[in-house]
Parts: sequence; structure tokens; C-alpha cells
Amino acid sequence: MQPIMQPLIKTEHLCRHFGDDEAMLVKAVDDVSITIDPGEFTAIIGPSGSGKTTLLHLLGGLDNPNSGVVELAGTNIASMSGTELSDFRRDHIGFIFQAYNLIPVLSAEENIEYIMLLQGLPKAERHARVQDMLQQVGLEGLGDRRPNKLSGGQQQRVAVARAMASHPDIILADEPTANLDSKTGIALLDVMKHLNEAQGKTFVFSTHDEKIMERARRLIHMRDGKIERDEVR
Amino acid sequence: MLTFKLAIRNLFRNTRRTILTAILISFSLMALIMADGLMLGMKDLLVSSLTKNLVGEAQLHRKGFRDNFDVDLYFTGTDDLVADLRGRPEVTEVASRVLSGGMVSSSYNVATGMVFGIDAEAETRIGNIKKAIIEGQYLTGERGEIMLGRPMAELLEVSLGDRIVITLSEADGGDLSQALFRVSGIYYFGLREIDHNTVFINADQARQAVGISADASHELVMVFEDLSVSREKTSTVFDDFNNEQLELKSWMELNEDIATMLELSGLSTLVIGSILFLLASLGVINSMFMSIYERLYEFGVARAIGTTPWQLAQLILCEALLLGIGSCLFGGVIGYGLISYTTLHGLPLGEFEMSGIALSGNIATQMQLSQFTELPFYIILLTLVAALYPARFASKIVPTEALSRSL
Repeated sequence: MQPIMQPLIKTEHLCRHFGDDEAMLVKAVDDVSITIDPGEFTAIIGPSGSGKTTLLHLLGGLDNPNSGVVELAGTNIASMSGTELSDFRRDHIGFIFQAYNLIPVLSAEENIEYIMLLQGLPKAERHARVQDMLQQVGLEGLGDRRPNKLSGGQQQRVAVARAMASHPDIILADEPTANLDSKTGIALLDVMKHLNEAQGKTFVFSTHDEKIMERARRLIHMRDGKIERDEVR
Repeated sequence: MLTFKLAIRNLFRNTRRTILTAILISFSLMALIMADGLMLGMKDLLVSSLTKNLVGEAQLHRKGFRDNFDVDLYFTGTDDLVADLRGRPEVTEVASRVLSGGMVSSSYNVATGMVFGIDAEAETRIGNIKKAIIEGQYLTGERGEIMLGRPMAELLEVSLGDRIVITLSEADGGDLSQALFRVSGIYYFGLREIDHNTVFINADQARQAVGISADASHELVMVFEDLSVSREKTSTVFDDFNNEQLELKSWMELNEDIATMLELSGLSTLVIGSILFLLASLGVINSMFMSIYERLYEFGVARAIGTTPWQLAQLILCEALLLGIGSCLFGGVIGYGLISYTTLHGLPLGEFEMSGIALSGNIATQMQLSQFTELPFYIILLTLVAALYPARFASKIVPTEALSRSL
């Protein structure tokens, strides 16, 4: 008998509204219920203002919903706050942002190591993982460079390595290719796709990028805060 | 360790701002070191100016004499008292005095003043009367010698060798007596009260003039081996010579206003320090906030990937701590150089008066270990306190707001 796969993320009636005045109320995420299984390579797509980034933030525990439930690996993170959420994000979620957002005063290696230091991993393990990550994202030999000495694509690869270094359950990427040229974007996506296929890492993207949409096995279409269509390919 | 490494590197992200803030903090420390050194130097100069003039370090009188300098309130047995006091190891020198208010007349004018009959030789070891002579000579013990201050000599229109008649009241009867003197010396202390209103004659002639016996005096003035003896009244003389008849008072008791002012001098350093602390902390707060606003997005990312609020606050505090330590090292070295120079060569502040005491010449600052331990400690502590608010602000950053605001 095949075991029943538990969803990695499950949201129920998730709502995130901005503004107090009824007339001015913005329903950025409005009654969204979805599940994401381990190993998915999913893109949340939709026009600007459709609520995809807000949904991604809610899935990653960066923001608290007005109502509803966000369960990540069986834990409801919607009610967590402050340090509790920070610790949860550190151990379970990897983030990749549009503008790379590496710490400029740290080298590529140190940026990757940073999150493991927060986790309190021993030095030997940290160093081993850093080298492994650099190799996986194709940046061997560039670990000692600071972000300003790396190209945009290389910086985003470091960001991917940083997101992967803590061995998170899921990696959430907000427009990761938006600042990259087409060729660099494709190369980066190939790295992420490889990590997804080879290691079963779960990726959820918020994007407009067609290159991501082409590679995604599932597309969640959003409009006005609601899921318009959920397409599995 | 990561926090430390990050803090150091962050400080060098905007070198100009860090240097400017460091200069502000360093300057505050330097100014504090100099203010403290100067205050201590002035305090010492003031005390030494006071005790080296007429006051000495302690004075013995009949009870009540200091209230109105009543000529009747003399004591006898001067030689025994002086011998007793000189026999004590902590007492360096004792001199007897006869004091009386009197009228000082020349051929041209009249002035009122205080007549001091002094033991000329012993007084040279008590204060600076001899050194204050600017014309003529110090008392030699010969009859008819009188020394007066330059302003009084100008008022009386007299010069060396001119005649002066002193009229004073005799003790125990109130009859007036007159004595003739010739100006043997003119002095200038730089103290209004002494230069305008005081004349010095030999003690024996003063005793004759006021009609008291050869072993009677109005005052014994003394100095100790160390100023702290009189300041803290550690000697037993203060117990032994305070009785129903006599009172022995230290220079601080004799000049309560100056003693209070000296006590308050610590307050002045505190006020100067507080102003400097305030300026420095505003600079630190401003610099920290600028630095935080520049890194708002970065902090948002750091929070997103799992940095806790306390870890962010620690980073800001660590930056402030390093800034404080670095600035204090720099400020301390410069401050050391400055205070070393001014301790050796003094600060040329000209001539001025404090609490009726004229101070002149270069004021030598005083260097103390606390200026390089306590003051930097307070500056570093203050830098940390000033960074608390920015640190709290950083720890309260909401990742989503920081990420959206900066994009």
C-alpha cells in the first residue's frame, strides 16, 4: 500500500487585508486554501497587485495573516510571532529575493555560512556545507569574493546557496530572475531545477517570468487576492 | 564572533561617517580629560594660593576672636603653645601673630586696615609674604619697620622710608595708642583684601602697641607636613587644641565659602561632562540611525532568513561598543599628549580671581589614572546607552515592511 503523502504546506481560508476603513480595504490575499507537497516546483503567477508576493510572505512566515491557517510541516505558523518565527524561518525556510540581498560586508562563503552560524552548527560542518553549496551553484573558487565583486547572476547563485545551506523544508523565491538578463536567468533556473530534481528540494516562486513558468510543474494563478486557477502539468 | 566581525566591517562601510562620529566621541573624551585636569589643577592652585598667603593650613585663636577680631580676645603662653605644636611630627611650622584693626595715616592720607604683628622669621616658612615684596625689604625684626600693600601705599602716597602712624586700640581698656613706623617694604599679593587693607609690623612692637604681654598673641598659624592633615583633620591637634578657651580651625573651616566652592568643583566637571556626553550621544544616535536606514532592506533580509530581533540589536550595540572603544583609544592618546604637555608647561590663562583669590601664571593641569580609566569607561557606556534606541529600532524592524519599503 502506497503511504499517504503529507502536504508540506497547507493553507486554509488564508486572508491578509490591509487598511482599516471598509471602503479602502485591500484584500491582498483573500480566502486562499492550497496545499504544496514535498518536491514541488511551483510558481505563483498573476498580474501586479494580485497578491502573489503577499501570499509568499505568508507562506514563509514573514507576515501574519488576518485569519486562516498556514501549516508548514504540520506546524501552524500563522499564530507565531517574533523570535519564535525567526527561529522557525531559520530552520525550515529558505528565501531568495529579487535583489539578491547578500550582506555586502561578508564574502560569498560567509554569506552562505551566516545562516548556519545562526543555527549553531559546528565549524567543520559549516565549512563542508559551504563548499558543497558553492559547487552545486557553480561558484567554486569564488567563495572569498564579496558581493560587489560578483556579477548579478553570481550573487543570485550565492543567494540560492544561502537559502539551501540551512537544509530548509522549502525554498521561497520572490521574483528571483527579475534583475537578471535572460541568459543568466536561465542558467540560475537550471541550477534550481537541478536541485529540485536531484535532491527533491521544494521550490515555490512568485513570478512574472515566463522562463520560470515554462519550467514549473504547477502554476497557481492569482487575481485580486484569490486563486483563479491551479494548474498542474 | 560573527556579530563582532560584521560590526567591524559595517563600521568601515561608510568610513567618513564612522570617522566623523569617532572624532566627536574622541573630542568629548579629550575635552573631559582636559576639563578634569584643569579643574584639579585650579583646585590645587586655589588651595595653595589660599594656604600660602595668610591663612596657613590651620589657625588657633581664643574662642570668638574670629567673629569680630576683638583685640581683647588674646591668649597667653604663646611660647609653650608654639613649642607644643612644633613638637608634633605632623606640624611643620608655627608662627604667632598679633592682630588689631587700626588707622594707618601718612602725611597725605588716612586708611583703615588690619595690622598684623608677625614673627617675621617663622612666617617665611608659613606663607609667601616675603616673596610678595616688590619694593624694599622684608621685616628684619628692627623697631619701626612696616610693610604695606602697593594699593595702600598709593592711597597714602608713601614710598620706602616715609613715615606712617598707626593708631589702634589697646587691649583690656580700649585706650588708643599710636606708634610711628617707616615704610620698609611694599608688597603685592594680588589679593584685594590683603593688598588694600593689611599692614605688617614686627610682633613684639605690635604687642607693645596693643598693650599685651610678650607671651600673648591673638593667633597661631601653622602648616602641616601634608595638606590632607588639615583637609581631613587627621591630626590629634584638632582634638587637643579645641577646648573651652581655644579653637583650632582648619583652612577649610576658616574659608567655608571656598571649601564649598571646592566641593562644588566636582559638580562643574559633571556639568561639562554632561553637556559633552549629550553632544556625543546625539552624534552616536544620529550616526547609528543613518547607518540603520541605509541598511533597512538588509536588516529585513537578515530577519527573513532567521536573524532574531535580539541578534540584530546585538549587532548595533556591538558596532557602538567598537566605535566607543576605538574612539576612546584615539581620544585617550591625544588627551594623554595634551594633558602631559599642559601638566608640564601649564595653561596660560592670564590673571584672574576666584572666590577672592587671585590666580595668575600658567595653571598646570593634573593628570590622574582615572582620566584614562573611568572617563573612557563612562564614554563607552554612554555610547552603548545612546545606541540602545537605534538597537531597539532595528530589533523592531518588520521584515515585510523593510523589504517593501526599500524596493
